[in-house]
Amino acid sequence: MPLADVQAMHPGIDVAQADFEADRRLLEAIADWCDRYTPLVGLHPPDGLTLDVTGCAHLFGGEAALCRDLVTRLARQGFCARLAIADTVGGAWAVARYGERAIVPRGEVDAAVQPLPIAALRIDLEIAAELASLGLKRIADLAARPRAPLAARFGETLVQRLDQALGREDEPITPRLPLPVALAERRFAEPIAREADVLGTIEHLAHELGRVLERRGEGARLIQLALFRTDGKVHRLEIGTGAPLRDPPRVRKLFEDRLAALGDACDPGFGYDVVRLAALVTERGDPVQTGLAAPDHEAELAYLIDRLGARFGLRRVTRLVPQNTHIPEYAVAAMPAHAALTLPPRSGGEGRLALRERCEPGWGRASTNPVTAPHPRPLPTTRFARGRRGAQALEWNEDNLHQDSLGVTRPIRLLQRPEPIEVTAEVPDGPPVRFDWRRVKHHVAHAEGPERIAMEWWRDRKGNTLTRDYFRVESHAGARVWLYREGLYGETEKPPRWYLHGLFA
Amino acid sequence: MGSLSPRLQHLRRTLAEIDPNLGPQFCEQARGVRLGVGAIDAALGGGLACGALHELAPVAPIHLAAMTGFAVGLAARSSGTSGTVLWIVTDFAAGEGGGPYGPGLDLFGLAAERLVMLRVPRAVDVLWAMEEALRCRALTGVIAELAEDVADLTAARRLTLAAREGAGFGLLLRHRASAAPSAAATRWRVSASLSEPDGFGGLGRTRFELALVKNRRGPCGRWIIEWDHHECIFRAPLSVAVAQTAFDRPDRAPAVRTG
Repeated sequence: MPLADVQAMHPGIDVAQADFEADRRLLEAIADWCDRYTPLVGLHPPDGLTLDVTGCAHLFGGEAALCRDLVTRLARQGFCARLAIADTVGGAWAVARYGERAIVPRGEVDAAVQPLPIAALRIDLEIAAELASLGLKRIADLAARPRAPLAARFGETLVQRLDQALGREDEPITPRLPLPVALAERRFAEPIAREADVLGTIEHLAHELGRVLERRGEGARLIQLALFRTDGKVHRLEIGTGAPLRDPPRVRKLFEDRLAALGDACDPGFGYDVVRLAALVTERGDPVQTGLAAPDHEAELAYLIDRLGARFGLRRVTRLVPQNTHIPEYAVAAMPAHAALTLPPRSGGEGRLALRERCEPGWGRASTNPVTAPHPRPLPTTRFARGRRGAQALEWNEDNLHQDSLGVTRPIRLLQRPEPIEVTAEVPDGPPVRFDWRRVKHHVAHAEGPERIAMEWWRDRKGNTLTRDYFRVESHAGARVWLYREGLYGETEKPPRWYLHGLFA
Repeated sequence: MGSLSPRLQHLRRTLAEIDPNLGPQFCEQARGVRLGVGAIDAALGGGLACGALHELAPVAPIHLAAMTGFAVGLAARSSGTSGTVLWIVTDFAAGEGGGPYGPGLDLFGLAAERLVMLRVPRAVDVLWAMEEALRCRALTGVIAELAEDVADLTAARRLTLAAREGAGFGLLLRHRASAAPSAAATRWRVSASLSEPDGFGGLGRTRFELALVKNRRGPCGRWIIEWDHHECIFRAPLSVAVAQTAFDRPDRAPAVRTG
């Protein structure tokens, strides 16, 4: 019926735009809340939910009691729900929408579904109307028909839906949330709201969870805490760990840090009536014999990383991992430390010299590219010296040929973004004589370079990245910086620009 | 403290047993990290004390990296070849002064595998994280950078107490020197110093100018030292022109192969 007609009939009617996104979010929130009955909850948009209550009903005093509980609680939240329990997903869907009884006893789904109208089969309304025009109005009419002509005329879906409703074909429920490996939960007649109570409950649950995991010989790598608030909101907090974890006090401590970091974001309101702790990801974790004398430093470090990760987020605790590239800003990647802990160690306790000589992707010289730099000692770059020492230094002494090939060629601090600076150079291609950084003038005492770093051709998709000439520069105060000139004179219309990229110790 | 009479030493040890909080000041065997420069080690009473908090600040913002280098050198010396170091920095401080860069750290003796980085959103989080980390006996050093002046006397006192429980030392790197009193065991002002060029006239060894402005275990002082990146040790600077490096020492770095 058009809106104009409706407004003509009921002038005072409220009109609102349909917000499908909000409907979906609401359905998901209800699905989250339904998690208190079973971990396996599937969505049937736009308005349905499927709960697999196999083996759960007795926890609530039987199926009838579960239905009553569910309907009353939803009604209290302002939802009017119809529900049905049946052997099949399709059967329950049909009975909930078109049937009379809420609970179809085991094995009677056939009898319960047959008398329902064909629209109860979850098919397009057009197909249902077409079937009705042929005189097929109930599911029983359809079930008695030969299947092949039906499938040929109305598509495979119709027959499949029929089979699913009658239990002739299996229909899995797709869970909305990952199914936990193990879980422990506690329900409260009187909701709890104090942080100490929640933490105490977590420790209790961690004990129960730990026992289950211990029997399986596993430890948790990802633990989820679900706090079900009385008003239907569900808080879910996840804690990732670097090593398999079973120890209840540690689980408690991790969640304590997490709750402290969240602060008001995790508002208990009128309290939580269900607290659930679930191990989402587990890993084999054999008990380790701890030494009497030497404390287990590795485990202690993993615990510290877990705690810092729980408080600040696991992505904020990182380890620096070398990358196989010579572009300075890409040469280091920050990997989450809890993931890096499980990686095999890169170098088997070798010293740094050994590491560098292997010329593998690792730290090292500008040219640690294994393809282009088989030479353990880079070719000497032109070095410039200003002032008194210059001439003296150029004396070609045999001893001095031991060039300091392990010299510090990479800065100790790299700026997140190169900062544009003003530079004066004697000749256009030469090293800087003076530079201004953050409004302070610095005069150059020594300079070394250039070290040319060009973009790797396979990264440079647009072909417009400029070459950089890096200079290591020491000011008269002794401060050392890493400058570069982007672009070459004569190649581009604009003169090359100077940037400060890093600071040397 | 070697000159103390045995009776006084005994009394101090007894006191330390009664109140563990008195420990480091009274315990003769307090472990220290030797810098390798005799004068400084002597002033520090055998090296930079472990289980204590030390504060570093640059003389001017441009010397931030010199302070970083000195701190990394100390951390590398303390952790040997296997210990782990935690580096805590706020988002703001990392944006201002850049983050520690792996290859550069390696050249200061701290292999990046031994470093765990923590980025925190606020400056007060640095203090919380540092306190927790100092208690952890698996770390040989905790380096925390503060761009803002949030570490007051109470905070420094808390960190000192936490450091006594742990194994390593805590280095608090302030981006700006603070005049406020602090409970740290030592306070340093670090700046870079003009270095001697190497044999080719390029940049020579990194040179630091250190000012020890507070020292609980000995006198203060000023020194100029160099970082020897071959042997990962600080040295008193030798003029290259005056005295050549000795090549016949038994423990010198392995010569780099050519070809």
